[in-house]
Amino acid sequence: MADDGALMIPHMNNDVRELQDSARRVLAGLGLAADEAASWPRIADLGWLMISTTEELGGLGMGLAGACALQVELGRQLATVPFLPAVLAIEALAHGALADKVQWLERLTAGEIYVAVPLADCALNVQRDSRGALLLTGTLLAVPSADNASHVLLSTLNGEHVGLVATAQPGVTVIERATWDTTRRLFDLQFDAVELEEHHIVASGSQAQALAMRLAVQRDFLLAADAVGGAAALLQMTVDYLQARTQFGRPLALFQALKHRCADLKAQTEAAEALLLDSLGREQMDSADGIASAELAGKAAKQLACAAFATVAEEALQLHGGIGMTSEHNCHLFLKRALLNEHLGRAPDSYETGIADAFLASCQPTCASIQTL
Amino acid sequence: MVAEDSAQILRQQVRAWLQANVPVGWRQAMTNSEQAAFVQLQRQWFGKLSAAGYATPHWPSEWPGGGRSLADQKVIYEEVARADAPRLILFFVALYHAACTLLECGSDAQRQTYLPKILAGEIWCQGFSEPNAGSDLASLKTRAERRGDNYVINGQKTWSTMAQYADRCLLLARTSKAEVPQAGLTYLLVDMHAPGVTVRPIAQITGDDEFAEIFFDDVEVPIEERIGEEGEGWAVAQATLASERGLTLVELSHRMRYALPLIAAQMRDSGREQDAALRRDLGRLIARVDATCALADRYLLKRISGEEAAGDASVVKLYYATTLREFSLLGSRIAGLAGQYDRGFMRGATQETGNWPVDFINSFNWSIAGGSNEIQRNIIAERMLGMPREPRSWQMTAR
Repeated sequence: MADDGALMIPHMNNDVRELQDSARRVLAGLGLAADEAASWPRIADLGWLMISTTEELGGLGMGLAGACALQVELGRQLATVPFLPAVLAIEALAHGALADKVQWLERLTAGEIYVAVPLADCALNVQRDSRGALLLTGTLLAVPSADNASHVLLSTLNGEHVGLVATAQPGVTVIERATWDTTRRLFDLQFDAVELEEHHIVASGSQAQALAMRLAVQRDFLLAADAVGGAAALLQMTVDYLQARTQFGRPLALFQALKHRCADLKAQTEAAEALLLDSLGREQMDSADGIASAELAGKAAKQLACAAFATVAEEALQLHGGIGMTSEHNCHLFLKRALLNEHLGRAPDSYETGIADAFLASCQPTCASIQTL
Repeated sequence: MVAEDSAQILRQQVRAWLQANVPVGWRQAMTNSEQAAFVQLQRQWFGKLSAAGYATPHWPSEWPGGGRSLADQKVIYEEVARADAPRLILFFVALYHAACTLLECGSDAQRQTYLPKILAGEIWCQGFSEPNAGSDLASLKTRAERRGDNYVINGQKTWSTMAQYADRCLLLARTSKAEVPQAGLTYLLVDMHAPGVTVRPIAQITGDDEFAEIFFDDVEVPIEERIGEEGEGWAVAQATLASERGLTLVELSHRMRYALPLIAAQMRDSGREQDAALRRDLGRLIARVDATCALADRYLLKRISGEEAAGDASVVKLYYATTLREFSLLGSRIAGLAGQYDRGFMRGATQETGNWPVDFINSFNWSIAGGSNEIQRNIIAERMLGMPREPRSWQMTAR
């Protein structure tokens, strides 16, 4: 065939590939759902928290695609470390306007401090008091490992501010909300008139809105990556089980009724991965239009990947039979993570309707009527 | 980047050309049309495309219209899909199956003889499936007996698309009974106008007769018309089947994406644009269609870079076929009772027309033909996931 110079996959450059391969080995060494306290220093030492930041800011410059490549591997091993929110906080600070952001980024990317970010859509009420100070009230939901966080990154409901608030202070109540998924630890953070200090404001006005939108897009892509990794690992585990388990004098993997279900799951997993990688390679978030386009792509990637992971998990439990219902088997860890993933990010149905709303709006005036076709 | 610039320039050229040349109103013209009108439209459109050099972008550079990079080919297919041009259904087997088989496995003499004929508009068909050899293709029984300088063909082929118009047939026939059924097969090019060839179109459930049966009754085929060696037909047939993967699925996936406004139009026409449940379903479908395009694109990239793995093509085909089914089912559900009224069918249309019952039925072309979904699932399970093959004989497992 003739030359194919233009058809490169920019996000799949060799650096990312190599890093992903080495991440797979490291995480396999740590094991499934490895201990958070033991794993966190390890991933910090390996420089993974520097992955997305530009080289000027001391990072590895591999962007969101690099972070997603790592998150795929973290998802594969049901990692308990809050890499995903940590990357979001680092991205926020890198794109924000804190005077001392370089110092913040140094400490964050080294893993010295951890700034948490809520993984559900939520924001806080803000009011100015008589001194003119900004006071925050309300609840942040689904904040991972908040007990280890020095600060939390939050948005205000009026869209005016994105900022940092120290978690250990009067007025902030940190409440652990145990979930069925035991591979993540989520917290509610209640705020009762807590000050958002001027020097902790990361972005204001239209920049705050753009930043919040950017973070939501990145969160969607990272959740998609987590689901892609989880689905692939669980499918492999299920196929391995069907190969090993013998009934009626033959391996279960020989039964076509089961093979075909695994094949369907493989196709869905591959599709979710292809959409994720294609979008990461295509989308550029360097303009308002770019962010709007990436928002839609992120919604599609998240919806498809989380649905695929949930389907694989549901089928995996059925295909494992009774052993999957026992707590000592790992099957349920994947299932519960898959179920939680569907509910992180935006409200589940809003992904589908959001994609459809944008599409219907875009083709409104020019769409041919069926009758004229 | 320079390559991107040149792709962009090509894109604009192709787009402008298509805008000026896609037959206006071809969809209306092809609805409930006579066969003759269909053949005429196909011939005209093929003539225009090949004169412009856009009919054979996948051929090597020594042939007119050939020598395009895969990136450029992809641009052309995306633009053809975007312009909603007619598909070259009548010439599809000639341009893809026949050409790719000749290029990969044919002799120089065969290439010099047949590729110019294909460029001049010869119509080809494929004679693989038989009434008793569908998914189990290697069990086929059509015989090719060597008599002097000829093979003599006897047997019956079926599901042969456009055979009633075809000048030539890609035939897979049995030359010997071997232990392994694949080993006794030989690949021949058969003149469809030769004595002893009878074609009977098959009435399909859409009202169309896109495919036909072919009967061979002592049909003589000179041995020079054999591709590859005697007994090596199975390997040649794999080259034929591989040709419809890759770019074809890129084109079809992108066509499906450009057809999504049909669903939007149906929602509006049915007064159900604000229906939240339908919007959810549409959003889900859009994500699936996007993923289908991404899968097809990635498959093409893997082929280019030599990273194609066993089963990759099956994943693309299975996912495309199931998404296409969902597309037609969603349209049908929105259209409701009115969608069930018979509005005839469109000859030579794409997979998506907004005539939902027909689109639904046509979607089975992709879940049955070219290796059914079930065969694709076997391939994925066995070659990608490493699950064991079925025992060869059911009798072995009877006890």
